Amino acid sequence: MRGLEVHFPIRKGVLLERPVGAVRAVDGVDLDVERGTTFGLVGESGCGKSTLGRAILRLVEPTAGTVRFDGIDVASLRPEPLRRLRARMQMVFQDPLSSLDPRQNVESILVEPLRTHRVATGKDARRRARELLDVVGLPAAAAARYPHEFSGGQRQRIGIARALALNPELIVADEPVSALDVSIQAQVVNLLEELQKEFGLTYLVIAHDLAVVRHISETIGVMYLGRIVEQAPSDELYATPRHPYTIALMSAVPIPDPEVEDRRERILLRGDLPSPANPPSGCRFHTRCPFRQPTRCHDEDPALRELGPGHAVACHWAEQVATGEIRPHPTAVPS
Amino acid sequence: MVLLSVEDLHVTFSHRGRRELRAVDGVSFQVEPGATVGLVGESGCGKSVTSLAIMGLLPPRGAHVKGAVRFDGEDLLQLPPAQLRALRGRELAMVFQDPQTSLNPVLTIGRQVTEVLERHRGLRGDEAKREAAALLDRVGIPDAGRRLKDYPHQLSGGMRQRVMIAIALACKPRLLIADEPTTALDVTIQAQILELLKELVADTGTALVMITHDLGVVAGLCDEVHVMYSGRIVESADRRGLFGAPRHPYTTGLLASVPRLDSPRGVPLRPIPGSPRDTLAWAEGCAFAPRCTRRVEACTTTAPDLVVDAVTRHPVRCYNPWPPGGEPVATSERKKRLT
Repeated sequence: MRGLEVHFPIRKGVLLERPVGAVRAVDGVDLDVERGTTFGLVGESGCGKSTLGRAILRLVEPTAGTVRFDGIDVASLRPEPLRRLRARMQMVFQDPLSSLDPRQNVESILVEPLRTHRVATGKDARRRARELLDVVGLPAAAAARYPHEFSGGQRQRIGIARALALNPELIVADEPVSALDVSIQAQVVNLLEELQKEFGLTYLVIAHDLAVVRHISETIGVMYLGRIVEQAPSDELYATPRHPYTIALMSAVPIPDPEVEDRRERILLRGDLPSPANPPSGCRFHTRCPFRQPTRCHDEDPALRELGPGHAVACHWAEQVATGEIRPHPTAVPS
Repeated sequence: MVLLSVEDLHVTFSHRGRRELRAVDGVSFQVEPGATVGLVGESGCGKSVTSLAIMGLLPPRGAHVKGAVRFDGEDLLQLPPAQLRALRGRELAMVFQDPQTSLNPVLTIGRQVTEVLERHRGLRGDEAKREAAALLDRVGIPDAGRRLKDYPHQLSGGMRQRVMIAIALACKPRLLIADEPTTALDVTIQAQILELLKELVADTGTALVMITHDLGVVAGLCDEVHVMYSGRIVESADRRGLFGAPRHPYTTGLLASVPRLDSPRGVPLRPIPGSPRDTLAWAEGCAFAPRCTRRVEACTTTAPDLVVDAVTRHPVRCYNPWPPGGEPVATSERKKRLT
């Protein structure tokens, strides 16, 4: 992905609609996902992470920039080649109940992509459906049942089976576990990991839960208001976060261990996410940044620059924050 | 002196022609004044129904509540509605998960705060407005005086939750029940709200019952924790006891299945098999038995009682609990990485 932008026009007027502005959901993102690895995209609601995932599959049309999948420019494909390419990239959605047709039984749900892409029909397709159920750990008897008869975790397994039907190479998973109960989340996370090993899948996992993303991803990109503000190998991001937003985000995630909770330094962000229709000038994070400096932050847009191998940060002061030369404003650190 | 004492609380729902549903099945716990108590569990474990029963907010038809809820020694379940209404909002208050649906969309937030002040503190007019502005300011709403005229939809989720907290704390209640108050919010906003709750509870001496599915939230906040599964408390301990030496297989299972931000990559998660839905058919025995790895024969015939454990001295409802430290949950390796 290079310079990817997705803007949604804001229209006004009743009969004669005219654009009055744009929501810059994704605003200039460069991102590479290596084959066979998992890239995790984290950020809070409204940061553009889901739109980015959809833009990769061209479920929303990018406004600018390119998406290359295996060297093919997805953004410029004509409808028929695009349809064929989509067989190689699939999506798993957050809410399995609303992404599975309630009036189709499981077999029909799994056979549909095989038919649409003319991979298999009739008996072959039904055999493949049974196979898929087995792969995701559901009994063959599930084929005749309907989505509402399953629990949340089982439904997500059906969604994953459907995504696997065409032997895709890339799976974009948008919040695959956040709708599930805690004790079930781990089952689905483990299943995703097993499937990756077995089929050599490449994942782009989009989630707001940093702990889940850190668990399954090799590389993590942190998004804020349509931009990637930091990107690093998973363990490195946790050990040495460099962007103030990443630092604050990590310190906000509660850890189920009182010993740790009592010792951690928590950095609180002030206020809410600004509107992506009217992002702040300069660094987009400067309005909430606990490390904000009087110069550069409010008038100069920081570029994503490499600090170490594979570790890129979009902050003017990342080095000074790292060395402790710049400390967070005292109001941001509760006693 | 105990502030709130829930004694053997049972809540069943019946619906014409259907089997009775036991939502809460013999729950007892106590809250000391100023203490913070957590009720933890997954969806359907009865934690929210417990809180609604305490507040007397369950529908009179369909829900059958048994047991006792003593607040300051008085059984709220036996109180006439008018007396309960006078207590509710003044002495006991509640904050819900979704501020969007619990605020009135057609009233300004100022009106919604002054309503409580008029009803319970007898303030009127400008006096009430001034107090409302002060309350909103206290919960961290910038420019509170002007915000009084705003409607809920004009505020963000985090701000709406602050308004809910302001309303709940308007009368300095002695008990605040917060039902998943941060679940609908982003993590950075969640951190703000939890910090605010912590501060307010410390300042006002209000006791807090925190209902959540998030063990992380409990670990940082609660003095005492009760883990619930399928309508029953399965383990109770202070937070250090619970996270340091969890005994019940459900507690350890939960801890082992949640990915932690501070655990290294590549350590596989150990999920609890099955799903909470698998429990219904086993109402006679231990509800967790179908998913339990330490199940023994007795588990499927009669449900175990909540027994105070000889070693850790906290109550556990299990025939075959893990020995303390038996299930490696917070391993020393993890601890080392953190320091």
